[in-house]
Amino acid sequence: MTYSYFLGCVIPGRLPFLEASVRRTFNKIGIKVGDQAKCSCCPDPTGVAQLDQETFLALGARNLCLFEESKNNILSLCSGCTETLKSVKYILDKDDEKKKVINSKLKLIGKNYKGNVDIKHFAEVLYENLEKIKKMVKNPLKDLKIAGHPGCHYLRPSEIINWDDPLNPETLDKIIEAIGADPVDYNLKNDCCGNPLEKSNKEISLNMLENKLKSMKDAGTDCIACVCPACYQQFDFNQKEINKNKNTNYNFPVFYITELIALALGIDTEELGLKFHRIKVNEILEKIN
Amino acid sequence: MQMVDFEFRKEIVKKDFSLNYCYQCVTCSSTCPVALITHGEYNPRKIIEESLLGLKDLLIKDQKPNVWLCCTCQMCVEECPQNVFLTEIFENIKNRIVLLGEFYPETFKMQAKVVMENGLAIPLTPAIIRRRQQLNLPKVESANINELKKLFAATNFEKKISL
Repeated sequence: MTYSYFLGCVIPGRLPFLEASVRRTFNKIGIKVGDQAKCSCCPDPTGVAQLDQETFLALGARNLCLFEESKNNILSLCSGCTETLKSVKYILDKDDEKKKVINSKLKLIGKNYKGNVDIKHFAEVLYENLEKIKKMVKNPLKDLKIAGHPGCHYLRPSEIINWDDPLNPETLDKIIEAIGADPVDYNLKNDCCGNPLEKSNKEISLNMLENKLKSMKDAGTDCIACVCPACYQQFDFNQKEINKNKNTNYNFPVFYITELIALALGIDTEELGLKFHRIKVNEILEKIN
Repeated sequence: MQMVDFEFRKEIVKKDFSLNYCYQCVTCSSTCPVALITHGEYNPRKIIEESLLGLKDLLIKDQKPNVWLCCTCQMCVEECPQNVFLTEIFENIKNRIVLLGEFYPETFKMQAKVVMENGLAIPLTPAIIRRRQQLNLPKVESANINELKKLFAATNFEKKISL
């Protein structure tokens, strides 16, 4: 099975260092992933989908068509994009009437959605290669207590996402274990980070984040691991915001899981762009070296 | 006084029949992180109740509870003992609010506008392009904007969202 990357918007346009960590990690493990040109926004399952489902389906199906044409399956770097692309496929494959309507729109740009493309979140493919990763670990991240944040669209709705347990997820913690670190068991592991409400209701969004941070802190966390750029931003950009408004001092370094894998596999930190994190990661690097 | 709108009720059920299975057990609201933080001001059970009863004005005009506060975490969908697809129903209600030209949060409109103009929700700035080069990342070849414009025109998106 061959894959091409679906980069989405947030990672290439705002957090390219996360993209670097995914590409370097997949290269190192020896999984070849191509590049798919001409993709648009997935579009955002918490954005355009809420405004008009028809436009959501048309744009999503156009992206799926690009991969069908190049005969590659999709490897998505973002949980939101994964949910969108899986949802569009789920809806169109189930509902012939809708598929007909959407294909009549796609015809205007010379495309036709058939339904023979598979979509995977990058962490799903890493999990499939966990034994291989374990064997390749050079610097186990010993004694590092990592709070994994699976996030919502990585898991749910399970009818559509269809892999890890939606209420008791374990894949992210298994990956953390595989690189020699300690996954932190904290109460609010399953909760949303609050990012989808960040722009429309900052107060609620930050309260949600604060609840999560408190739960992580109580469980003795050193740093946080994410698998979605929206969650990453919420954790890396907004801990300071909370400290500003409340009498707290949250300062957990935030990593993409591929950055942590890359460190364990001995990939040069210079290649990862760790200096672009807002919350500095130096203490963690010292701890694992 | 709130009036029951039978047509509205029928439309919502037609789009997602699972609405009919709700027996108002409150599992959704007790698992909802936003309901917890707003002390029940945001209340998914109530949105479902109002949908079942066809209280269109409350949902669409007054927006009480405010359906835009759903954080789309889908916990309610997973926990519901009756398999009601709550977030699909909420999405449908939001689509109707937009279509009827009622108020919806500005941030959604702004994102839609950026996607219509650039094809991406976050266009690549010169600074980010330089950073990508620094990190030895390949050039991003994004979508042909004319192709997307044809799709937006075909779904009548601009008019639907009152841009």
